[in-house]
Parts: sequence; C-alpha cells; structure tokens
Amino acid sequence: MSAPSEMQAHTLSIIRSVGGDPLDLPFWNACREGRFLVHRCGICGRSYWPASRCIEHRAQSMSWVDASGRGTLYTYTVMHHAYTPAMKGKTPYVVGVVKLEEGPFFHSSIVDCAPDAVTIGMSLEMAMRDHESGLRMPVFRPRGTPID
Amino acid sequence: MRSACAIVGLGVTAQGIGLGIGSRELRAQAVELALTDAGLEPEAIDGYIHTYIDREDLRYQGLAPNFSVSMMTGGATPVFSIITAVGAVLSGQAEMVACVYGQAQSARESLGGQKIGAYSYGYPSLYGLIGAAATHALHAQRHMHLYGTTSKHLGAVAVTQRRYASVRPEAIGYGKPITLEDHQASPMIADPFRRLDCTRDTDGGCAVLITTAERAKRLRANPVYILGAGTGHNIANWHKGTVFENHDNIAPAKARAFGQAGMTLEDIHMTQLYDPFTISPLMQLEAYGFVPEGQGGPFYADGGAGPDGPMPTNTGGGQLSAFYTTGFTGIIEAVLQLRRQAGAGQLKRADTALISGHGMNAGVQNTWAHATLILGNNQ
Repeated sequence: MSAPSEMQAHTLSIIRSVGGDPLDLPFWNACREGRFLVHRCGICGRSYWPASRCIEHRAQSMSWVDASGRGTLYTYTVMHHAYTPAMKGKTPYVVGVVKLEEGPFFHSSIVDCAPDAVTIGMSLEMAMRDHESGLRMPVFRPRGTPID
Repeated sequence: MRSACAIVGLGVTAQGIGLGIGSRELRAQAVELALTDAGLEPEAIDGYIHTYIDREDLRYQGLAPNFSVSMMTGGATPVFSIITAVGAVLSGQAEMVACVYGQAQSARESLGGQKIGAYSYGYPSLYGLIGAAATHALHAQRHMHLYGTTSKHLGAVAVTQRRYASVRPEAIGYGKPITLEDHQASPMIADPFRRLDCTRDTDGGCAVLITTAERAKRLRANPVYILGAGTGHNIANWHKGTVFENHDNIAPAKARAFGQAGMTLEDIHMTQLYDPFTISPLMQLEAYGFVPEGQGGPFYADGGAGPDGPMPTNTGGGQLSAFYTTGFTGIIEAVLQLRRQAGAGQLKRADTALISGHGMNAGVQNTWAHATLILGNNQ
C-alpha cells in the first residue's frame, strides 16, 4: 500500500467504517504529510472541525488551512472497561476533547502523560502517530514534553 | 393545547435481562396490554408510531391503522412520539394513536449485534472513545471541574434511585438496595463512571395509547392529561462552543412545555428524567432550574431527589435501577404515579409530573435531542 491513491482509498474506507464523513478526507490525507488542518471561513475567519458550512457565511468561502496544532484540554475520560476486543490490553487510556487555538474542538488521544496527571486546562500540542487502522492520526501531548 | 389529548392506555410487558422474548413479540404484548388497560379492541388503533425502525409489526399484530411511522431521535423518541401522536389526533389524521417500543436488548450479542453500551460514533471511536458511558463522561468531567462535583455525589444519585427501585417488584433493583460504599467499590468503567453509575440493557416492551381528552373520559382508565410538551436540540450549544457544559439544550423545551401547560416549576410534583448515567438527572435538574447551577451533587447528597425531598426524581428507580425501555421508563413511572398505581413507591403528592427524553449520540459530542413532557391527572 504505497501508491498515494491506494492510501487515500484505504483512508476513505476506514473513515466510512466508523461513520465518518468523506468530506473530511482532505484533513486525514494531510495528516500523512504531518499537517494538521482546520476548515476555515475565508470571510470571517471562523474555524471548524469536522467539515462544516460557516454558521454565518455558509459555503461561500470554506477551505482547509494549516492550523497551529496547539490547544488546551477541555474535558476527557479515562477508559478502564474494554467494550471491544480491540480495547483489551490498552486500558487504562485517555481520550480528551482539545479546544484548539483556532477555536474548534478536536477529540483525540492524550499521550505521554499518566492518566492521573491529566487535568482540564493543560496546554497540549499535536504529534502525528501511526494508527493500527493504517491511518496517520494526530494525538495530543503536554506542550513542551521532550520527545523520546 | 393544554389537555387537548390524554394517555388512555398503558401496556408494560415483563422487563428484565434474558427474557427470551423477541422484540416484535414484546411490542405485540405491550399493545395488547395497553388495549386491555383502555378497554378497547385492536380496531380502535388508527395510528401507529414505532419508536425506532420496523416494517412488519402491523402484519404480525393484525392491526390495520391508517398510518405507521418509524421514528428515531435517540432516547428522546418516546416523548417525541407522544408529541407526534397529539399532532396526528389534533390534525384529524387519527383518533387513537399507539406509541410502541419493544426491544430484546440482551439478545443483541447472541444475534451478532453490538451491545448498546459499545456503540461508537464517528472518528472519535478510532481513538477508543467507545460507548455512551465515555461520551457522557466528557460532560461529567467538565461538571466536576467547574463545580467540584465528586464521585460520591454521583454515588448519591445511584443510591437514591436504587432505594426507589428496591420496593418495586417490577424493577431489576427490587430488594437490592445499595450503599455509597458499594458504589465507591464498584469498578471504574469510563472515569468518573463506575459500574453503578451506568444503566445496563434490559429486555422489555411498552405501549401507550393517545386520544382526545373528550374521548378519554368515556374510557375505562383514568385519563392522564398531556399538559404541555417541548423540544430542544443541543446543536445550538455546539455552535456556541458550550456543548460540554450542556448535557442537553433544555431551555427551549422547557419554555414551550411550561408555556403550553400554563405552569411554573413550583407546580411540578415529580420529575422522571432520562438517566443512562448518574450525571444525567443531576445535570438536568440544574438545567430545568429545580436546583441552582452546579449544585446537583449536594442536592442529591442531601436527599433532595428522594421521596421526601423537594423534587422526587426517577421515583421507580429509573433506567439505572428499574429497567431500560429508553425514554418510556420515565413515562411509565409518571403514569403509574399519577394514577396512584405505584404501590409501595407511591408518592403522596402526585398530580403532575415532568418527564424528559434525551439521546441521539453523534461522533463529535454526547447527544443531541431533548424532549420535555408534562403530564397531570387534572385537566
């Protein structure tokens, strides 16, 4: 699976399999290049995730643009119970909602931080990681944590 | 609008885990029980609302209404089905509408399906955000951060509801009260929820029959009048960036329901609030204004939602400790209380009830739909 078109087809199949929106494919494809995008209205500058129409200017000027990859933790949970076979052996792990500097919320894994050290309001930065599905996906870690 | 229509029949099947009765049969039994309750024959049903999706019920049950609608707005569907039934009656499309639920939830896994608890929604599931406990936990953590709500506060909700259930033979929690220590010792599922903070799937069916208030007076059962109803959608809070502070968008639902009823909060004798997790009734009591913002935890810890408290809530044990018929759990309990049929759990003041529905999880947040119903036994 090396040709870009094959990878994009795989990404689409994974996003569809979880009920995600094919309109978000530019975001997921950019992750393979290490870029973290948001969907922005060119008229008012409001940013969105996932792909949206602007609440004020509709579809007139929406485009995918590079974002800072920084944010703060808005809320989170630590998963202890393995509801699915794929979850077994991974618990406990943290899933958080990151309030991006650009405004939107982004659900993601919170990594490089012990679950009991996670606090709402902590500063976070994005890192790209390979996901077991074959996607490359952004995760978030405490800002300024040394990279091993 | 107030009291234009009434609930004139209630059918509740056996409720429990592993009943061995299929979903369609549960619905058929619920409809038959509701017809018996109302003193009506099957021919009386001229409108049928299936809460969720089915195409074969009418053939199987031998019913012949003029319409059958499948409805899906998550756990708000049962209340919304009653709102829709009123609309059908008042617009002259039907005279007797059945709103019907029946699911053999515990058979899902053996049939190759997914347990409700393991539902996943959109891209967050790739990060392991699996199940409704996880999505509701995002609200609970935010509430704890903002107001100092604790796990013991959530435990007080579980203990309160189990105490109600412990005296009701039809409840899963019958004869099985729990203590705060039991709650604190139960295993963590999705922090801050422990097992005793979570509702489990049960099998069961329910049907209610809706007609005009005028016709209701000529039927067998004491009418339970529909005093008011309303809806709110959490997408408004998503657009404002306040969706994690808001378990639901209650303000518009409340305004319409109380406006139609011509009532205020002081006129409500009990609430039956959608409760998949302990945080749910706690946050709804605040959002409706029964409890000051952020004070839901101390309110429960002080017994405020108990039978002698200022606002008895989920008085049959709720989904947490009675049974899970999605939004019908609260409707059933309200009708029983208003008819003085709640047995050992009968409240002394029981002339009005507020019921809520909540649900329709999505990928990017916990849940979207909310619906309010105000019922009373005086027109």
